[in-house]
Amino acid sequence: MTASHEIENRLRATAEKLLREKKVDLFLGYEKASLPFRTTPLLLTAAEEAGRLVWNSFCTVNLAVYLPRLFKAPADAREAKSATPPPKVGIVLKGCDARSVVALIQERQVPRENLVLVGIGCPGVVDAQKAEKTLGEHEALGAGEDAQGSIRAVVEDGTEITLYRQEVLADACLECRSPMPAICDLVLGGPVEAKETDAARRRAAEFESKPPDARWARFQEMISKCIRCNACRQACPMCYCKECLLDQTRPRLIGAGTDISDVTIYHLVRALHTAGRCTECGACVRACPMGIDTRLLTRKLSLEAEDLYGYRAGQSADAIPLLSAFAMDDPQDFLTEPSHLPAASSSAQEAEQARRAK
Amino acid sequence: MQFEGIMNQTQSVQQAASKQAWEPKIVAFLCNWCSYAGADLAGVSRIQYPCNVRVIRVPCSGRINPAFLLRALQNGADAVLVSGCHPGDCHYISGNLVARRKFALLKALLQYVGIEPERVQFTWVSASEGGRFAAIIEKVVEQVRKLGPNGRLAKRL
Repeated sequence: MTASHEIENRLRATAEKLLREKKVDLFLGYEKASLPFRTTPLLLTAAEEAGRLVWNSFCTVNLAVYLPRLFKAPADAREAKSATPPPKVGIVLKGCDARSVVALIQERQVPRENLVLVGIGCPGVVDAQKAEKTLGEHEALGAGEDAQGSIRAVVEDGTEITLYRQEVLADACLECRSPMPAICDLVLGGPVEAKETDAARRRAAEFESKPPDARWARFQEMISKCIRCNACRQACPMCYCKECLLDQTRPRLIGAGTDISDVTIYHLVRALHTAGRCTECGACVRACPMGIDTRLLTRKLSLEAEDLYGYRAGQSADAIPLLSAFAMDDPQDFLTEPSHLPAASSSAQEAEQARRAK
Repeated sequence: MQFEGIMNQTQSVQQAASKQAWEPKIVAFLCNWCSYAGADLAGVSRIQYPCNVRVIRVPCSGRINPAFLLRALQNGADAVLVSGCHPGDCHYISGNLVARRKFALLKALLQYVGIEPERVQFTWVSASEGGRFAAIIEKVVEQVRKLGPNGRLAKRL
């Protein structure tokens, strides 16, 4: 594993070179934030400012979320006339972020030829809320990481506290199966190997082993905290629809309030919309101000897509998205079949059945 | 004023409804080309089946957004049934095949969070299968009667 400061230096040099040689117009990366355990997204346009870029275990944001809006198609002919050509964009990607970009390319939301993908083998990022919780009564004033990857926090009285990496890594990272970016033009750092490959499956199975009533109770208890701020939608790189089902009012399919049944349906639909597209970056969980584990549902759908159709989101830019594709022999054992043979069996029906049997 | 009137009306309707014995209410989304015609055939063939089903005709099973089904359950349906053309028979070539994947995931997800799997049902009924349509309705109604009213997704005001 390459130390993060080394990667940071390479990243700055790369961004500087790309911008200076006009290979890209914009460069998306991370910058130091004002709070510990966090970084803030940075949109670079000038080569001289590449020094502002950082790379560390606090680079949590999935930058792919900013891509679709940079390549928005003009709404009408008049807009098309005055539209500027789409920019060339360089972007820093972790394993999951790169898979999000692949999914966006698959869905024709971003043109591959306009992107310079700078991948970084990712050893996992820190969940700021977990880190703050681990510190307990102390308030961190600054944070960094040492060469071994342990997280160091400087607290209010100036003492330094070491946090163990495994304890403060985001849940999504603990379940990560592909820390290396799938497709990229440049790789800085790595290779990184996935620590555990069946953690997600284990967690889903653990939930599934409970009786239905307990599952429902747990699900309801979790989402009853929801205030419907839609932060999970905003943070998700796959939620790029110009008009979201939530904003649609005629007909309004999903109630906007915090009534528990509206909240339930919101979470179910949101999860379904990410089915076969979610790359498990955990952006929704990080965005949630109420601490809802939105991945409870998306995790299951990702596993289901894999088990039923052998499909994993963001693996290949040429693959047809899961729900746009089909196979004649897709599993259909979930269908309802009549418990007895139809009472009135006409000759036409027999002929039909014979045809089907063939 | 008007609103209060409506509320009073709704309440009295609800009270009247609760006095009667509960009957399962099933919303069936049927595709225009096969299942709706199949249901029609069941009718013209005078095949008897329970009257607990309310039919909504849609152009294709591929038209159905999972949110439609959840919305129906939220608004008081005890179960929803979706029926389309058999694989290979879709009027739009592949609408039902695309829908099949969506429905498989929807059903798995609902089961995962603890909703009874019988609340959402999917099937294929062709235009010539009036008998099959009736048999399926019978089965769904029987299953839902056993489950009782939909308590999980229904909106309570």
